[in-house]
Order: sequence, then C-alpha cells, then structure tokens
Amino acid sequence: MALGMVAMAVLPFVANDYLVGTGLTLLMWLALTQSWCVLSKMTGYVSLGHVVFYGLGAYLMVVSWQQLPFMLVVFGAGVIAAAFAALVGLPVLRVRGPYFVILTFGLAELVKFIIMAAESASGTASRILFGTPDLVVIYFCMFALALLATSLLTWVSRSRFGHGLRSLRENEEAAETLGVPVVRFKLIAFVLSAAIPGMVGAVMALRSTYFVVGGVFDPMISITVIAMAILGGGDSAKGPVLGVVFLFVLQELLWANAPLLYMIILGAILITFVLLLPNGLVGLADTRARWRAQRAAAGAKP
Amino acid sequence: MSALLSVRGLGKRYGGLTALNDVSFDVAPGQILGVMGANGAGKTTLFSLIAGNSRPSAGEILFEDLPVVGLRPDQICRLGVARTFQIVKPFPSLTVLENLRTGAMFGHAQLRRKADADLACLRVLEEVGLLQMANRRASTLTLSGQKRLEIARCVATGARLVLLDEVMAGLTPGEVAQMIATLRHLQASRGLTLLVIEHVMRALMELCGRILVLHHGELIAEGSPTQIGENEKVLSVYFGAHA
Repeated sequence: MALGMVAMAVLPFVANDYLVGTGLTLLMWLALTQSWCVLSKMTGYVSLGHVVFYGLGAYLMVVSWQQLPFMLVVFGAGVIAAAFAALVGLPVLRVRGPYFVILTFGLAELVKFIIMAAESASGTASRILFGTPDLVVIYFCMFALALLATSLLTWVSRSRFGHGLRSLRENEEAAETLGVPVVRFKLIAFVLSAAIPGMVGAVMALRSTYFVVGGVFDPMISITVIAMAILGGGDSAKGPVLGVVFLFVLQELLWANAPLLYMIILGAILITFVLLLPNGLVGLADTRARWRAQRAAAGAKP
Repeated sequence: MSALLSVRGLGKRYGGLTALNDVSFDVAPGQILGVMGANGAGKTTLFSLIAGNSRPSAGEILFEDLPVVGLRPDQICRLGVARTFQIVKPFPSLTVLENLRTGAMFGHAQLRRKADADLACLRVLEEVGLLQMANRRASTLTLSGQKRLEIARCVATGARLVLLDEVMAGLTPGEVAQMIATLRHLQASRGLTLLVIEHVMRALMELCGRILVLHHGELIAEGSPTQIGENEKVLSVYFGAHA
C-alpha cells in the first residue's frame, strides 16, 4: 500500500496528462469510497446518497469561483458538507436497513432538484469555469484528500470510537445497553463521512470546468462507490483500496476494449461477489492466508 | 449502607395494557434477588425500565440514591447497571473477546485503552469458562455459550448491579448447575449484586436469598425461597385454587 502511495505521488512528474488525469480519477474514487466506509461499513447504515455531499461541494466551488481563493473554498466545501450532514443526520439516522438506503437516496435527489430549480430560476443551465488551476495542482489536492480519507478510515477502524460503531452495527440495542452512546456516535460518523466528499466535489469541479447540476449529483456516483466498497470488503482501509483499484482498472480496460459489454460484465462480477464472496477481496485474501497456514501446519507434522 | 437499587411505585402502561403496576422493592448490595412470575407478569418490563430501555409511566428508580428515570441506557450502564437479554443479542460477526471489549471500553469500567480492556475481558472470560473461545466469532457459540457471553459482557462493563433475564432457559440440567456455580462465583469474586429472572424454579430457589413474585404486573409476594414456597397467594397463582 505504501508502495502504491509513492507511485501515485511521483506519477505527475513522469507521466503524460492522460495518465495523470486517470490517476486523478482513481484518487477521487478512493477518497469517496474510504469516506463512505466511515459511516456505511462501520455502522451498517448503507448510504445511497453519498453523492449529495460531492454535489454540494462542487456547487459551492462553481458559485464562488474567482471570488474566493480556491483552497479556501475546498476547505469550506468540507465544512458545508459536514454541517449539512449534522443538520439532517439526527432525523435520517433514526431509520435503519432498507429505509435508510431509500431515505438517503431520496435526500440526494431532493437536494439535486432544489439546486436545479434554483439554477433555472436564475437562468443558468450550465456553468463554465475559466482559469482553473493546473492539472498537477488539482492532482495533488486529490492526492491529499485520498490520503486524508484513508487515514481517517484507518484511524476509525482501529479506535475505541470505531469499536463502538462496529458494536452498534452488530446490534444497536445491545451496544447501547453496554454503554455505547449510539445516537452521538452515528452522527459523528455521518459528519466525518460527509466532509471528504464535499471537498472532493469542490476539487473535481475545478477539473471538469464544465458544471451541470445533473452531472455532479449523478446517483451513479453513489452506486459506483458502493460497488467499489462491496468488491473490496472488510471494514479496514485495505478493502476500499483493493475494490477501487480492481473496479477502476476493469472499467478502464473494458471501456477501451468492449464498451458495449462493460455494464454486463460489471453486473455479473457484482452478482458473483455478493453471492460467493460477501467479504470481498479482503475476505478472499484472508481465506487464502488461512488456507496456506493450515497447509503449512499440516506439512510441518506429516 | 442504604439500598443499591431502590424501586418506588413503578408502573408501566402500554396504551390500555398495564404491564407493571405500583411495584416497590429494595435491593441491598451483594444480594442475589430472584424475580419470578408467569409469562406476561412484567418481569422483562421491569428490567427494561431499570436499564433505561423503556421509560416508566409512574414511579421512580434510584441506583446508589441517584434517580435514573429519564437517562439513556448507555448512561445507566456507565453508572454501573448492566443487563442481559432474554433473547440473546450477541455481536455475531465479532469475536467473543471483541464482544466483551465493548462492555469494558464503554461501560462503567471505562477502560478506554484496548490493552487495558482486553486484559480485564480475558479475566472475565476465564471466570465464566469461555477463555478458549476468546477468538471465535460469537455466532459460532452454542446457546449455552451465548448466554455465558451475555453475562460476561455485563461483568466486563464493571457493573455493580447485573440484571439477568432467563440466562438458564433452554439449558440442560448439567449446564444449569454449572451456570449456578458461575453466578455464585461471580457474585463472590466481584461483589456483584444480581437481579435474576428465571423460570427454572429449582435454580431460583438454590441461588437466591430473596425472591419477588410478579403476577399480572403486581408484586404479590416477597420473601425467602421457603416463605415463597409456602405463600398462599403464590401457590394459588401457580397451581390454581388451593382448596
């Protein structure tokens, strides 16, 4: 993982713009998926609305473009996304299971249509940003965010806080009765999980320079994040890295070689994973390690 | 020293249904108090009210002279009260040790560092006979094992008062005998106070110094196992009209 990190850090100095752009997209998915896991993998509250924070961040960037320093806006986007999560968190986190999934999806769509309405009321169908920073600057912003998201999930996964989240994922009533302040913990996880996609959205607005509301609030972004997290498996930071790289490489290969079959193959892979490998690539690696250890033990005493 | 737990005029209504009505009793520190009664007598409701899982409609509950009505379950746990659930609620995909760690880290003990928490948890596991299972996933335990796990989690919180809801139901006679020995041991080694709901009458008679009898939400009798065994009201409730 450290090796991959170094490779990503030197990429802009050795590669052409196309590769750097590809690397940027990979880092974007990594940041989004790691941050999604902070809430959804740790607590089992599967959010289908992660894109709402991304969209809010992107929107904040385009409306404040050339009025404020962009780094400040990126930071502000994180704060706004976190504040939005804190605001809606208490009512939204009262429901569990499929209701939470549908509610988060609905919430993201609601915000999308509110902003669409606001944009069309002011007579803008789309916006174009001029004078955005250099690709390498954007790349390193995203690199920092991916690193931040990975560190955040690593910390949460190992901390007392994370143990509380895992406990409430397993059984919320039992966790609360054993002293876990479940409402507060869920809300903190939701807020932490929201800040990063807010900043990612702001940075990506600089990359695409062309802004339409439907694009930055596209539900496919939320769905892709979930697919990557499922493929990766586990609830440590290792899972998303595996899942993101796997799906991303697959995506790039298939787009180039078999664009028509892409969605079909992706669907088949997802079904295979859900049915046969519910613990994803991390689970597969664990099973193999255990199998090897068993074989080694068997070989040691014939 | 005053009572560890004091329940005064406790009542709970669900709409028109009275689950518990005007129940009062005290529990002295170190006591093992049994709670018996037919299904629907209000035993589990009593536990839910004490542990904060639901709010009473009337009355008050004092733990170490502190009113706990209105506090959340996690706050009550931090004060030193823990409960098991009649239908076990383990954290199935976590290991047995991780199950206990939650109690140790977040309960009354507040062992925030993982190393401290795990050390305390391993001691508890040894006392309840689950040490060999420490790294097994909780879902792989037998029912008897899961009941022990529930108790171990409560003890790991560092609670002073533990509410045990039918921890012997569904166990074989041999397992019941073991469980009684374990509970006696825990009570002695950790100075626990236990409130025990049980249908296994022999176990209750053997374990408890004092027994409460609930019937249709009312406290109808209170006394030593012998007194309860001879109580007219209890006999008529349990065996029909006593000629």
